[in-house]
Amino acid sequence: MTQAEIKLCSLLLQEHFGEIVEKIGVHLIRTGSQPLRVIVHDTKTSLDQVKKALCVLIQHNLVTYQVHKRGTVEYEAQCSRVLRMLRYPRYIYTAKTLYSDTGELIVEELLLNGKMTMSALVKRVADRLTETMEDGKTMDYAEVSSTFARLADTHFVQRCPLVSPAENAEPGPPQPAPTLVICEKDMYLVPKLSLIGKGKRRRSSEEDAPGEPKAKRLKHSTDNKEPIPDDGIYWQANLDRFHQHFRDQAIVSAVANRMDQTSSEIVRTMLRMSEITTPSNAPFTQPLSSNEIFRSLPTGYNISKQVLDQYLTLLADDPLQFVGKSGDSGGGTYVINLHKVLGSLATATLESVVQERFGSRCARIFRLVLQKKHLEQKQVEDFAMIPAKEAKDMLYKMLSENFILLQEIPKTPDHAPSRTFYLYTVNILSAARMLLHRCYKSIANLIERRQFETKENKRLLEKSQRVEAIIASMQATGAEEAQLQEIEEMITAPERQQIETLKRNVNKLDASEIQVDETIFLLESYIESNMKRQ
Amino acid sequence: MAGRGRGRGRGQLTFNMEAVGIGKGDALPPPTLQPSPLFPPLEFRPVPLPSGEEGEYVLALKQELRGAMRQLPYFIRPAVPKRDVERYSDKYQMSGPIDSAIDWNPDWRRLPRELRIRVRKLQKERTTILLPKRPPKATEDKEETIQKLETLEKKEEEVTSEEDEEKEEEEKEEEEEEEYDEEEHEEETDYIMSYFDNGEDFGVDSDDNMDEAIY
Repeated sequence: MTQAEIKLCSLLLQEHFGEIVEKIGVHLIRTGSQPLRVIVHDTKTSLDQVKKALCVLIQHNLVTYQVHKRGTVEYEAQCSRVLRMLRYPRYIYTAKTLYSDTGELIVEELLLNGKMTMSALVKRVADRLTETMEDGKTMDYAEVSSTFARLADTHFVQRCPLVSPAENAEPGPPQPAPTLVICEKDMYLVPKLSLIGKGKRRRSSEEDAPGEPKAKRLKHSTDNKEPIPDDGIYWQANLDRFHQHFRDQAIVSAVANRMDQTSSEIVRTMLRMSEITTPSNAPFTQPLSSNEIFRSLPTGYNISKQVLDQYLTLLADDPLQFVGKSGDSGGGTYVINLHKVLGSLATATLESVVQERFGSRCARIFRLVLQKKHLEQKQVEDFAMIPAKEAKDMLYKMLSENFILLQEIPKTPDHAPSRTFYLYTVNILSAARMLLHRCYKSIANLIERRQFETKENKRLLEKSQRVEAIIASMQATGAEEAQLQEIEEMITAPERQQIETLKRNVNKLDASEIQVDETIFLLESYIESNMKRQ
Repeated sequence: MAGRGRGRGRGQLTFNMEAVGIGKGDALPPPTLQPSPLFPPLEFRPVPLPSGEEGEYVLALKQELRGAMRQLPYFIRPAVPKRDVERYSDKYQMSGPIDSAIDWNPDWRRLPRELRIRVRKLQKERTTILLPKRPPKATEDKEETIQKLETLEKKEEEVTSEEDEEKEEEEKEEEEEEEYDEEEHEEETDYIMSYFDNGEDFGVDSDDNMDEAIY
């Protein structure tokens, strides 16, 4: 784990779980797999605090444990999983676009709590939805359950590994830790529960007749005594499936930008057809025949078979090679080259970064070197049609930032400098890694700056919160306009402006974090796809 | 032999300068004598952030999530070190857990045995109703309820704070039941004494608490 990643993990853990969890988490990320006593000794925190922190981290799937020989249990942290916490809002928003508010709340509760049973999840989501509905309406459990079942069918939520129950038969000493078994075929199987009920609103007692709260308390106490039917079956959000969805979205929008809307719809159809059949890290999708694609097009599109064939040929002939033709049966079989697409997206990201950082002439040189693979200094000046001095300057700027590399090709075995070729080249993989590292650093900087800004103005923020609370309570009890005005004037105009500036800055920093996270996703997908290939 | 060329000609480099494009006599940029500035001036302004419905929604989600996670029981605050004198503001500051309990209930079957800690019992919700909590036992008689109500009412007038009241009510209820059982057993008659209501108490009790049902 690089220093930048560790720093970012530390900031994320501290923001979301507090300092104690952060200390333990960062220690585990830095030092790898460790048993409990070593953690206590090295971090100099009390045993209880370490236990608490580990419980939280394991609950949220950030730390896993393993039983070694002689019964010691070692804990290991997953650094990449901690970095996913940046992407939580994006996952929730995706669930909202696909499955509306119910889906959004299901995914949100799952991400906030790490893992939950289906019954607990359905109950909590129904309660939350009931809060937002109008008075008198409640959310039925059945509707929430059906949305949950749809999420499980499309693999957006999956079961956690189950505790293997076979140990009870042996009379030996009890295991120090349960072994967890992943059951592949049951991963998305929704347990058959008959969850009947409606969401409960958290009403204040003044509104109700005294009869109601007693009835509610009755139900609550009996719920705890009944055995939960799906005890032990926990669900978690399947982040890989969300990543697959983001990747598909990126491909479709890339095709739409390069060609037109119709071709992007065709590509979207092809991706949808291969959602479940193709594993997420495959280099290309399963071959799809043109007839199948024609049948699966959304009903709104009335393009004829010939037009579809023409579009497919166009897509296959495109130099970027998003779509490849793999055969002629069934009217032509086509595949989507996922690895090539990720490569093009990463390259486009690099080009865009060079353009925004160094200017469009640098970008021209960069694209030139990319295209020609290896170029000498003189050739760069000739091909790019840029005067020698400026070309030199730009090349060295990019070289110093490691976007471009210098390749030596010796003519003689003694590598004499006067008899060696020096060629400029771009290695996309290493440039992508370098950019990814920079992205981690930038997000860490953004988070630090945001925390600094908030801390600077803490007094002011607290004051404004207090004033808002006072105003709200006074409005509830029906105060006059004059009194409200007076309270509002407690915050002076320059203070108000300061708060406005602070809010604007914090929003800007937050939006930047989200934007950098999108770049991180593209680069990470590309690097991962490259690793798998090797 | 290799060391002979070291001192001579400080400007000599190991590679041919012309090959990389620096001609003879070209002015090289001055050497850097200090670390690069913290905030170098930007040549090119950054591209504006994406705005629009989606961007705003995701931004709001992010800020909400941050706030929500601070309120969950998973957020462990470090214990505030004990100061020399107890101060009034301590009551209102959010300090960390002083004991070694956690506020949420994990599934202990999934965790290693060595991590097991005490779970803090959830405090029962404090409501503002003055109603005494009636245990949901259908077998209780009305008279027993009346007796309890009477004793509780008297207790209510004594105690000022509502929260203590509820606690006391719960305690008293249990005490009442115990006392009641003892009464029954002691007398050892077929007739339970409290069944007999000679009507003296009717109307004597204060009718201030209209929340309670009057049988």
